[in-house]
Amino acid sequence: MKLFKKNIPLAIVLVFGLVSLASYYVPNRMSEDYLEVMNAWENIVSAFGFFLGLISLFYAHYMKIRKKADGWGYSLFVYIGFLMMVIPAIISHGKQLNPDASLTWLGWAFRYLYNPLSATMFSILAFYIISTAYRSFRIKSLQAFVLFVAAFVLILGRIPVGQMIWDWALGFTKVTAGEAIDWIIGVPSTAGKRGIMIGVAIGAVVTSLKIIFGIERQYMGKD
Amino acid sequence: MKNTSILVSAFLILTSYSSFCAPKAGKAAAPSPIKMELKNFEALDFPYDKGETGLLKWDHTEELNDASFSVMISTISEKEGWIEADTFKAGEKTADKVNLPFWAFKKDKNKYAVPVELNNVLSSEIKQDVPFFAKVKIIKGKNSFESQTASAAARGNWFRADRLNNLLLFLFVSIVFFIIVSHAKKKSLFIRRIAGLDAIDEAIGRATEMGKPIFYVPGIGVMSQISTIASTFVLGEVAKKVAQYDSYIKVPHYDPIVMTVSKEIVKQAYTEAERPDSYKEDINVFISHDQFSYAANVDGMISREKPAACFYIGYFMAESLLLAEVGASIGAIQIAGTDVDHQLPFFFTACDYPLLGEELYAAGAYLSKEPMLVSALKVQDFGKLVFMISVALFSLLLIIGSKMNWQGLSSTLTEILKVY
Repeated sequence: MKLFKKNIPLAIVLVFGLVSLASYYVPNRMSEDYLEVMNAWENIVSAFGFFLGLISLFYAHYMKIRKKADGWGYSLFVYIGFLMMVIPAIISHGKQLNPDASLTWLGWAFRYLYNPLSATMFSILAFYIISTAYRSFRIKSLQAFVLFVAAFVLILGRIPVGQMIWDWALGFTKVTAGEAIDWIIGVPSTAGKRGIMIGVAIGAVVTSLKIIFGIERQYMGKD
Repeated sequence: MKNTSILVSAFLILTSYSSFCAPKAGKAAAPSPIKMELKNFEALDFPYDKGETGLLKWDHTEELNDASFSVMISTISEKEGWIEADTFKAGEKTADKVNLPFWAFKKDKNKYAVPVELNNVLSSEIKQDVPFFAKVKIIKGKNSFESQTASAAARGNWFRADRLNNLLLFLFVSIVFFIIVSHAKKKSLFIRRIAGLDAIDEAIGRATEMGKPIFYVPGIGVMSQISTIASTFVLGEVAKKVAQYDSYIKVPHYDPIVMTVSKEIVKQAYTEAERPDSYKEDINVFISHDQFSYAANVDGMISREKPAACFYIGYFMAESLLLAEVGASIGAIQIAGTDVDHQLPFFFTACDYPLLGEELYAAGAYLSKEPMLVSALKVQDFGKLVFMISVALFSLLLIIGSKMNWQGLSSTLTEILKVY
């Protein structure tokens, strides 16, 4: 049992991990073909995974409706939304909706139902940015003060009236708001970002080594 | 005597005729163009590629100054099927401008080196080891000359020597990794504290006291992404603590494969906490494989169920703020970690405890406190130290090279640090 639950999966991870790693340094067509096969397998497994996801989704909402849990009415919309996309796709048989052959029923549902809803969700982000900016601009520490100053300079530089305020208040420095913004984005901001990216890269390498050599195996359950 | 006079008169007639036919003074005859040739013209396989690129080389000579070149390629024969692959002026595309490092390619500014991507030029996939023919048309003023034809076959190579710097760095990190891991087996290592991870107990304890659920959001990554794998490690530890406290956790998923893996991990965590009876199938639930549908649904769940603690750990894009802001609005303790650098500011501003970049990868090990896993944290810190020293040293050398105008030093250092 240990052979099937531990040894074979670990051997598969080791072999495929090392081969995938080596393919980065081997430019041969064989290595490219290997990566293509791996991607194809990943897509096939994902496609089967979607059935599992769909079953989980329908089961969870079915139970909510059955138990009349709080907000069970929203669960109905899962089924309604699903049918609104699937039924037009099935009944149209891929035929075009209009004479100029530019839209199917599914395309119509996608364009006029899904896209506006998706865009609405994305547009909410603008309001959330304002509320989160308000919260982070409350100066409680030295770091918060530095953040506030940097953000304030950026805001000033991005709006026309801000440029006028900058010229009036800090014009004597001979530095324009645009130059100050470029310096903030190009020097301290980029330096911090690169520091994080280097740390992330090292962390990714170490995590990969832990997985490839079977040191970290929580993802497959413990012994 | 008579013969002599005939010869003299014939000579005079010829000379007068030639002077009559000669162009007038000031209008000298144009010299016939001297045939130009490319010195050491050769076709080669481009090194360190999969076998789709050829390389043409020839020497730069003084007579090629002010000329321009048109590179012609054919796979049919030496005499037909020519396609123009590239055109450029003299001085461009010399060997020192090839995008390969000094240890993998001889940089010579007195030699032309023109890579030709055969598949792009020929619009059909070139087969391995099938020879291609190449010639160069030299255009100088109104005259043009063609070089001799050269031939070579593009072959797939077995090692990218241009990535040798990357390989050496990787081997160095790997050796350090194995030394520290083997050291960790013998004695325990001191590990710095990570505030975001220390707060997990507090968050779960608070949720238990309030009798409210805990939300664990693994983001929109798929199982092949390291951040998602790291997130599942953290999920295992969080789920174990939740089981120990007999609290309730909910894990909404974007990807069904991640959901399947997470189900096993949570089930295992409940078993390890000796509470397998508390495990429920609806802890892990698939939401949607669409970014904003997922965000909308999770936001709705957070608004309705008002969890006491929210974890956002994994791969996040624009939905990071959509989720974190809703969590903040209901007053939940929020712990977040992602390796997407441009989403980190949103988590910093909207969450109580953000994990900084690579702390996400260390989180599972930190929480598990297993010496072998914790040693990876040491490797990460050591790696960062090496990078800090390297950045300082290379920056100093580059500044010195720039100030002293040592072009060789600057270009060598830049090539050592470059990704190919």
